[in-house]
Amino acid sequence: MECIDYQDVDIFHSGHVACAGCVEALSLRVILNIVGQDAVAVVPPSCTAVICGIYPNSALSIPAFHTSLESAAATASGVKRALLAKGKPDTTVLCLAGDGGTYDIGLQSLSSAAERNEDILYICFDNEGYMNTGGQKSSSTPEGAATGSTPLGKTTRKKNLVDIMAAHRVPYITTTSPGHILDMKAKVKKALQIKGTKIIIVLIPCLAGWGVADDAGIKAARMAVDSGIFPLYEVEDGERYTVNQLARTQSVKPYLALQKRYRHISEEQVEQLQIHTDKAWQQLLLRADQQQ
Amino acid sequence: MEPQASPLWTTRTTLDRKTGTWRDAIPDYRTLPSPCLGACPVNGHIADWIGHIRKQEYHAAWLVLMDNNPFPAIAGRICHHPCETACNRQYLDESISICALERFVGDMALAKDWSLPSSDLVKKEKVAVVGAGPAGLSAAYQLRRRGLQVTLFESQNQLGGLMRYGIPAYRLEKRVLDGEIQRILDLGVIVEHRPITTQQQLEQLQNSFDAIYLATGAARSKTLPVLDYAKPWVIDSVEFLATTNANKSHPTGQHLIVIGGGSAAMDVARTARRLGKSVTVLTLEPAGHLPAQHTEVEEALEEGIRFVSGAMLQQVNEQTDGLELTCIEVEFTAGYRKGEFTIKPKSGTAFTLKANAIVPSIGQDANYAIWGESFKAQGPILKTGSDWQTEKKGIFAGGDLASMERFVTHAVGMGKQAAAAIAHYLEGQSPTSDEKTVAAVSIDTINTYYYPQQDRIDQQKLPSRQRLQNFDEVQQPLQEVQADAEAIRCFSCGTCIYCDNCYAYCPDMAITKLEKGYAIKSDYCKGCGLCVAECPTGSIVMQKEYEEITQ
Repeated sequence: MECIDYQDVDIFHSGHVACAGCVEALSLRVILNIVGQDAVAVVPPSCTAVICGIYPNSALSIPAFHTSLESAAATASGVKRALLAKGKPDTTVLCLAGDGGTYDIGLQSLSSAAERNEDILYICFDNEGYMNTGGQKSSSTPEGAATGSTPLGKTTRKKNLVDIMAAHRVPYITTTSPGHILDMKAKVKKALQIKGTKIIIVLIPCLAGWGVADDAGIKAARMAVDSGIFPLYEVEDGERYTVNQLARTQSVKPYLALQKRYRHISEEQVEQLQIHTDKAWQQLLLRADQQQ
Repeated sequence: MEPQASPLWTTRTTLDRKTGTWRDAIPDYRTLPSPCLGACPVNGHIADWIGHIRKQEYHAAWLVLMDNNPFPAIAGRICHHPCETACNRQYLDESISICALERFVGDMALAKDWSLPSSDLVKKEKVAVVGAGPAGLSAAYQLRRRGLQVTLFESQNQLGGLMRYGIPAYRLEKRVLDGEIQRILDLGVIVEHRPITTQQQLEQLQNSFDAIYLATGAARSKTLPVLDYAKPWVIDSVEFLATTNANKSHPTGQHLIVIGGGSAAMDVARTARRLGKSVTVLTLEPAGHLPAQHTEVEEALEEGIRFVSGAMLQQVNEQTDGLELTCIEVEFTAGYRKGEFTIKPKSGTAFTLKANAIVPSIGQDANYAIWGESFKAQGPILKTGSDWQTEKKGIFAGGDLASMERFVTHAVGMGKQAAAAIAHYLEGQSPTSDEKTVAAVSIDTINTYYYPQQDRIDQQKLPSRQRLQNFDEVQQPLQEVQADAEAIRCFSCGTCIYCDNCYAYCPDMAITKLEKGYAIKSDYCKGCGLCVAECPTGSIVMQKEYEEITQ
């Protein structure tokens, strides 16, 4: 088997208050490890804000700027320009936001930062809902999933943020998962080499919000990828599509069955989800092919 | 050194907060038995030595193998490999070619002339081992390695027992046998070529040795009541194999019928085929249920041997042009114990077969009556206790003499167990129970995500036409690249491979890498179990902590 070859550099610390088994904490660990010490984090309200800690303690040993929910990308733009003004052009400015702060409330500031092509690394930990406020739906919540505000299951489909941001022609937008640490490491490294707005969407199976066992976060992330529900792919300059994992090895059914948020759905809905997944997958492959 | 938080914004890191208090169970690193270990007749640490092959540490692999079995090159050729039947990999694709890997290491040891460190005679006690077959040689080896003085008594000219006189060269080259036996003798085992076949001879041994191990095998052929063994056309299978294995010719007719479906019957049939005979095998068991190994039957078929299965010999008529055998189809029901069965002839299914000679090969019995009446029977074998001690104090027994298993490696395992029991006996200790109490690692605890599907690599076989020309080995060895690739397929069930998954997948940085292995930081581990779930070898388990408190 392939080994991960991983060594911590002590930027993210034990004693944080993420739930036991939280794969967002794991993703933070991997990402911060690669970003390194010369960085400033901008954190809107989100699970990450909680994980980072309560003053005067911090789980991060890089500066973390806690900002408002709608303005992560705008704040990051300001921090980056301030660092440039202070003669520190090499310092990475990264947003650590949730899907609420990205797909919903922070979308306009992200859109304008992307349009200006601000030199920031925007990480979206996408757990498909407002999970640290009790689990309400966001525009990232997939169809069929039950949340506190959609107890019978959401009736509309998940917003396609990659397409939205690709339409801004950002130099780099990609998806990754904590079940694919090698992929995640490679993509963060690649993003750090690119100037302009880089966006990495990390699928975070939320143990409490999705109804997944404490030790199954990685498994759920891998099933999402293996079923094609959450494909791993990159879009460069809004047009060059690359699919990183081309094999779909299972249907959506076992992935849905793993999670309590789908336990109410009917066979027909499972069928419907499979059809939607297949169609989206085909479209993605087509885009990846077209530009070759 | 404690990492510093940025002084601009905060004063401390979260290391102040001991999140370990959230937990009710903590991961525990363990070395657990793999299914192959439990199935292995010599209890070999298979995951361990395959792990060494993976790292191309072949010599280290060989040393692990040699701990439990002095015959890796032999076992790698002829073992019935129950390990492969138990292998967890079969639930993903196919089991590992364990036997072929063992042969690869065993052959390398012979080619490179690896030897064992010599053992000093640290004990004054002397042990006699009677019979230099697999059980006797294995016992002698293990006893000698414990520092005891060992004398091996063998009635034949050469050592090896069934491995030499029973198993044909196309399955086990004599060069390999000689090499692995010589290594045992080089440890300083004394050999005396004389039989111990009477009560008086045994009593003499008792006077000069502190313990005796009897392993004379089962060399007396069972007889079929319908056959007249005085006839020249009835050939004893043991004698047939012994003479042909000694490169002597044996007078037989052109058309041979071998009766029996076990390994010995296959050996007779395939040997006769190589001598240019046409051979038919007649078995009581229906096709697909023969007691011989599946590959042996397969290879016999490839070599043009005809099988008449699920039928019984009723009568033989001598005719001018040879023999006419009247047979009848039977319903065969296997019994509760190995070797037991019931048969019911199906009326109106009689048929005839033609032949020049018949070789009944329906099993062999042990002969222990020669040593006097104090040795008791246990069914068809010699009665022994759980420590392989006979009714007579200080006399132990093993191999085919004391077991119906009738596999070479099983005999090797018995020899090893008896050596341990004899050592305990000589030290005046009671025998300790074996280690098999922990349940084997099940496939459910192996995270198969880390193992992409990969075809099993098998040994190549000589083409059947070529095989019949001579007694060259049928199974061709694995090449080094093949062995390495096959070793990578192993799940290493229950044995850590230091892949760092537990370390890398911990969301709480609660695992420390040690020089070899890992430690849990109990201050921070929240007990989520991700390390256990992502362990590719099943060698971490969650341990409930309240159980420890109540103890």
